[in-house]
Amino acid sequence: MKALALAIVVLVGGLLISATVDFPDWGDPASPAALHVSPRYIEKSMEETSVPNIVTSVLADYRGFDTMFETTVVFTAGVACFLLLRRREPRPGPSRVYRHRASGVIVEMSQAPDTEPAPEVFKRIDDDWTPHDLIVMNVCRLLIPFIQLFGLYVIAHGHHSPGGGFQGGVILGASVILLALSWDLRTASLRMKEVATGLMSAIGVFIYAGVGALALAMGGNFLDYAALAPILRVDPVAARSLGIFFVEVGVGLAVMATMVLIYKNLASEGRLDQGL
Amino acid sequence: MNLAVSIILGVGLVFFLGGAVGILRFPDFYSRLHPAGKMDTLGSFLMLGALALYHLHPFTLDNVLVAIKIALIVVFYFLASPTATHAIVDAGIRAGQAAWQKPGRGAGS
Repeated sequence: MKALALAIVVLVGGLLISATVDFPDWGDPASPAALHVSPRYIEKSMEETSVPNIVTSVLADYRGFDTMFETTVVFTAGVACFLLLRRREPRPGPSRVYRHRASGVIVEMSQAPDTEPAPEVFKRIDDDWTPHDLIVMNVCRLLIPFIQLFGLYVIAHGHHSPGGGFQGGVILGASVILLALSWDLRTASLRMKEVATGLMSAIGVFIYAGVGALALAMGGNFLDYAALAPILRVDPVAARSLGIFFVEVGVGLAVMATMVLIYKNLASEGRLDQGL
Repeated sequence: MNLAVSIILGVGLVFFLGGAVGILRFPDFYSRLHPAGKMDTLGSFLMLGALALYHLHPFTLDNVLVAIKIALIVVFYFLASPTATHAIVDAGIRAGQAAWQKPGRGAGS
């Protein structure tokens, strides 16, 4: 049986390898993929959309419909994670663990689920993992604003350099996750609440589809940003460039919020009270 | 100028090489993190510094901006890399990883 499996693997592998010989050369301008629509994008995208980064113009303008549903897929992944993992009941066991702020002594308290000791005296910590690392916490506190600034830059600069909504959104989401890792999940949840992640995720998709529907309402095709020119008071080419920026913002919001939503649910087993 | 840049790049490369050899040759988790954290930081400081210097050559505003951006990468690396190493070592200690000892001394091997 093993010999048969090996024979099949070798045969199929050999076929696949022999088929690669017939592939067009790497970067061959005469290959079928480079002859269909690519020349038009390369020649016309600058004059039609005034976006120097052709990848961005193809992604968000010429194939905007595709990207809209990619964003929807990201949103759906977040919603699926939320629906599968989120649990409302509190963690089993009545006790919670606190650190006395002044002395650093760690105490375990049993109490009713809704009462908390004074937060300026006792800081709640996770019961299995209690990082209290001054260096990591403070370096992350120092770096996170710059990481977020860079994320905004990547979103806004997608017209001119590699970047755009997906990449910038991931950087923004990672900055919030870094806060959750270096401080704790409750601190990150205070900064970005669960409702905010869910809403922003949906609003991001809504911005994308809304820009498309607005173009429809203005008499153009769906996602034809040139139709937005009368509202934006610019010429149609600049309107396409601006329209790409608007949908990139939507993509960035959706990706960031979904990343944070998935992380929070996975890290805390759906309870959002404590976790990695 | 080019000579100075080449020399600094070469020195940075030596540090990177030392770091790579150290990661391969040192005996355990903690001592391997030592070259990973230190040599990489110094090596990238030297190499990125050399690149920033190289970019300054026609002294225009654009080139200075590029050099400042490279310098900012160095600053980020200087903060992030040692902190990451520190966090990994911390996690190792919390997870109960024992430090290596010379064979024949104490219980470790």
